[in-house]
Amino acid sequence: MRSRGSVRNTVLERAAPFIGFLASAVVLVAIVIVLGENPGRAFEAIYKFTFSNAAKAAQVLSVSIPYYISGLAVALAFKAGVFNMGVEGQYFVGGFTAALAGIYLKLPPLIHIPIVVLAAMLGGALWALIPALLKVRRGIHEVITTILFNNIAVALVTYFVNNPFSGIQKGVSLEPQTKKIAASAVFQKLNGLFRAVGWNVPDYVYLDYSLIVAVVMGLVIWFLLSRTRSGFEIRAVGTSIDVSRYAGIKVKKVQIGAFLASGALAGLIGLQEIFAIREFYTYSLASGLGFDGVAISLIGRNSPIGVIFSAGLFGFLRQAGYGLQLFTKVPNSVTYAIQGLMILFIVVINEVLIRVVRALRKKEAL
Amino acid sequence: MPEALLAMRGITKRFPGVTANDGVSFDLRPGEIHALVGENGAGKTTLMKILYGLHHPDSGSIEIRGRPASIRGPREAIRLGIGMVHQHFMLFPPFSVLENVTIGEESSVAGILKPAVPRRRIRALVEENRLAVDPDAKVEELSVGQQQRVEILKILYRGAEILVFDEPTAVLTPQEAEDLFRTFREMVRQGKGIIFISHKLDEVLAIADRITVIRQGRVVETMDRASATKPRIAELMVGKPVLLDVERPPFQPGAVVLEILELKIRSSRGYLVVDGLTLSVRGGEIYGVAGVEGNGQTELVKAVAEGLEAESGRVLLEGRDLGRCGVRERRARGIAHIPEDRQKEGLLLPFSLAWNIALGRHDKPPYVSRLRILNEKAVRERARATIERFDIRTPSEDTPANALSGGNQQKAVVAREIETGARLLVAAQPTRGVDIGATEFIHRQLLQARADGRAVLLVSADLDELLALSDRIGVIYKGRIVREFDHDRAAREEVGLAMTGGSIHA
Repeated sequence: MRSRGSVRNTVLERAAPFIGFLASAVVLVAIVIVLGENPGRAFEAIYKFTFSNAAKAAQVLSVSIPYYISGLAVALAFKAGVFNMGVEGQYFVGGFTAALAGIYLKLPPLIHIPIVVLAAMLGGALWALIPALLKVRRGIHEVITTILFNNIAVALVTYFVNNPFSGIQKGVSLEPQTKKIAASAVFQKLNGLFRAVGWNVPDYVYLDYSLIVAVVMGLVIWFLLSRTRSGFEIRAVGTSIDVSRYAGIKVKKVQIGAFLASGALAGLIGLQEIFAIREFYTYSLASGLGFDGVAISLIGRNSPIGVIFSAGLFGFLRQAGYGLQLFTKVPNSVTYAIQGLMILFIVVINEVLIRVVRALRKKEAL
Repeated sequence: MPEALLAMRGITKRFPGVTANDGVSFDLRPGEIHALVGENGAGKTTLMKILYGLHHPDSGSIEIRGRPASIRGPREAIRLGIGMVHQHFMLFPPFSVLENVTIGEESSVAGILKPAVPRRRIRALVEENRLAVDPDAKVEELSVGQQQRVEILKILYRGAEILVFDEPTAVLTPQEAEDLFRTFREMVRQGKGIIFISHKLDEVLAIADRITVIRQGRVVETMDRASATKPRIAELMVGKPVLLDVERPPFQPGAVVLEILELKIRSSRGYLVVDGLTLSVRGGEIYGVAGVEGNGQTELVKAVAEGLEAESGRVLLEGRDLGRCGVRERRARGIAHIPEDRQKEGLLLPFSLAWNIALGRHDKPPYVSRLRILNEKAVRERARATIERFDIRTPSEDTPANALSGGNQQKAVVAREIETGARLLVAAQPTRGVDIGATEFIHRQLLQARADGRAVLLVSADLDELLALSDRIGVIYKGRIVREFDHDRAAREEVGLAMTGGSIHA
């Protein structure tokens, strides 16, 4: 049975993101006032663009999908004590390999879709492989190698899209891109399904197969981390390499495994944009998603469940930014500042609360 | 009687759910060493934190040299002449002794450092207090004992008259402890007062003028050394009679379990830390390894329990060469390991006690199913049984390990390793920083393992512990066993001498 104290401790441990959110909302109000805008109007604009109706809420969910996958990828590596700053590159490469599978394979949809997903994971994992090996074999810090590999990834896909796999159709678009994804690999929308259960999601919102991919991956990672031996070993290695080694855990194997799995997840980030929205691959996919994942993972306390909320928060902020831009004098860039501020608040408040809880626990144990 | 340097009266400090100090009165006279003893969690640290201004008492008063003082923070404590030497040093390793001592109080003219003045003062302090250390040496090049001297210099430099030492000998060799006590005597001769916190009752009896015992936040008794005996203090601390000398049934050696032959290990710096070490341990035997820290003990333990790579030589378990086996395989073959540093190596501190008890066997049934899925229920059930059997004090098995006291953390590690039923138990510093009650308990567990016919390789910096428990003691010096003593032939002085490389036969 759990005591009242342990419930209080758990609440305190999880409270940081909420306090940080409120604190940054206060700062937002201050900024809005300084910019000569009415805070009420600003909040109205935010509300209008996020939760005023089913369509807006669905849009928030839609843009949160890649955020979630990215946060999950970073979180898994973090859990094993690996700093995968290469999610960005893995996302570009994974997306590219998936696109190749989507363009050139001729398969029925039932097989083609899963193959495309696997190809994305394979590509992402492949791009994580060399930094992973350099880390465990040579002790080269992954923060450096993965960031460098991001640059290589961008150069590589730019080359591929411009040359061997270029599919520009004259007169249609000048944007460098591949050929179109085969119809059997295109991610269909699930909007009809949602409408059937009473959620009125309009056609222009992308709630496609990538939502299923995100949900499934979230469940798999949650189960892996909390219920399996491998997950236990990942968490142990992330907590202390010395203790893990002492306990007979093969630290390097665990680190490589978590690194590759993180890369595999990263490969999935672009699925929505490539297979549902654009239906072709280009190197000008949304950039920065991989780095957003670091912040999302951090705010979500590196937990597959916590990341649901932080990814949702990022989706919300993005839409809120559009709302502010359109309806008020507040520029969109303010939301980026607020994002950064929120991360800062949460990290600091979290540290403070962790200390408070530790002190409380210590006193209980006496 | 001279006026008291320090008088704390009726100090009470409550934390949510616990009264850490309950009407504690404590005083210190000039020229006195006053020992403060008590189990972990008894309230010694809280009392000292109040003295140092880190906590503020709920009630009670403090007088320094007869003047009421309200100490709001360490800065004020220092101004009042209170100095504290913590167990964990607070030094900047790449800086020189002089820089470390003067930090925050650098002597400078127009921003340019003028080290000559402090250097003279430090030299004088070194001289007066027998604190052999070079002001211009870099701290990272000093031994632990010398680093402690830098800490002492730091507080003397700031004019401390009331000096608090929190378990200062825990990290020292017997020789260094002797040196420290000589310094103590010098300092009290100059009229300073020393508060000495220690678990080692022999030391307390050897050096203290008065002894105050606290238990569960209250002062049980303050006594003069003349009227103090070891069993009496121990009983006051624990609240019930303690068997200080655990009973040791006769030695019944079985077959050789561990054999180490001509082991050589090269350190990362390129010299041989273990240099042709040979020893063997039988079933039913406790083999104690005595030595000054840094003579290859850590590497010896790692070579046996974790397969630290050796340059040459062999390690055999029940006649089979362990070769390059990893930790997992070693554990499977029957090696249990109580690590030197429970916090750094032995426990996943944020994890629950239950998982820490399963650690190392977490990959075996019943903790995992064949599909490698964790069985949380089995983990918790087993943990509950272990907690019960080994009397680990914890609110529940879900409590994170970092919330337990040091003694209970160590009990959990010992319990876990004993329960593996391994043929060989490698115990490195099993009672370091652990209170009397837990120490007695751990000693009994080691003897129980011996009675069960297991082999125990015991590495300890505590010579008394080795003398009390070991059937044979091997003295390690510069990476090899230089002498071996049988239990009844091991005299404290002779073993101590061998530890420093000296020998009557050498």
